[in-house]
Amino acid sequence: MGLPRKDRIRAKLKSENTTVRVLLAHPMHTGRAKDEADTLIPAEFIQDIRCWRNDEEVLTIKCGTATARNPYFSFQLVGGKQGDMITIRWVDNRGAKGTTETVVK
Amino acid sequence: MTDDIMQQRRAILKGAISASTLALVAASGLLLPRQLLAHWPKNAFNAETVEDALLALLGEADIADDAALNFKVGSPPSYAINGASVPIQIQSDLNNIERIAVLVENNPFPLAMSLELTPAVSLPIKSMIKIREDSPVIAIIRAEGKLYKTSRFVEVDIGGCG
Repeated sequence: MGLPRKDRIRAKLKSENTTVRVLLAHPMHTGRAKDEADTLIPAEFIQDIRCWRNDEEVLTIKCGTATARNPYFSFQLVGGKQGDMITIRWVDNRGAKGTTETVVK
Repeated sequence: MTDDIMQQRRAILKGAISASTLALVAASGLLLPRQLLAHWPKNAFNAETVEDALLALLGEADIADDAALNFKVGSPPSYAINGASVPIQIQSDLNNIERIAVLVENNPFPLAMSLELTPAVSLPIKSMIKIREDSPVIAIIRAEGKLYKTSRFVEVDIGGCG
């Protein structure tokens, strides 16, 4: 159950729609768990995920602490073509940021 | 002396004009969407009951229990060995879906995620959530100003809110 080292994203054209799958590398600590030394692990979780297709913002996801570790999302984008650029940006509650992008295949 | 008064008058007029322009722009709704979207709905995510979370997220609204919303939790459905990552899938034939919210009733903070969709996004949407203990899991869709809700009871072997 180790963390993957980096965010992963796949986008594939399937029967006229684009299927996007995203796996973000993030521990998603709720702020309620304790470590081996019995001290609370401070909350650290992704709050905001946005998805762009080329220059158009298509999806916003707001997460709470109940989103699983290494957040995974899969969704469809209507239409699209090979070569479209899909970009994901995320921000967590401490202000850490990440960007990952891929080209539709 | 008169100069002084004129200066003051000018300042007051200027202030009044910019204030009224701002009010107009705000009222026209130009400023609204981007700023609202940029904001993480803290009250909704920190609410400790489903009712409070929904009130903070969606405002007062009647919710229709509806079969139009096909919602699967767990694998096999309605069962999860590990509550720390329970797969969910949301499917629906509704058009113009604006928002989807997923809530776990018995979690310390029920609201798990809230998705804001544009017309470019279509279902199904899949993700993973944490579930602390056996609990109803609720999916809510807002489409064309109406709310649709589906609830599934999920059994969890190992709680996942650690």
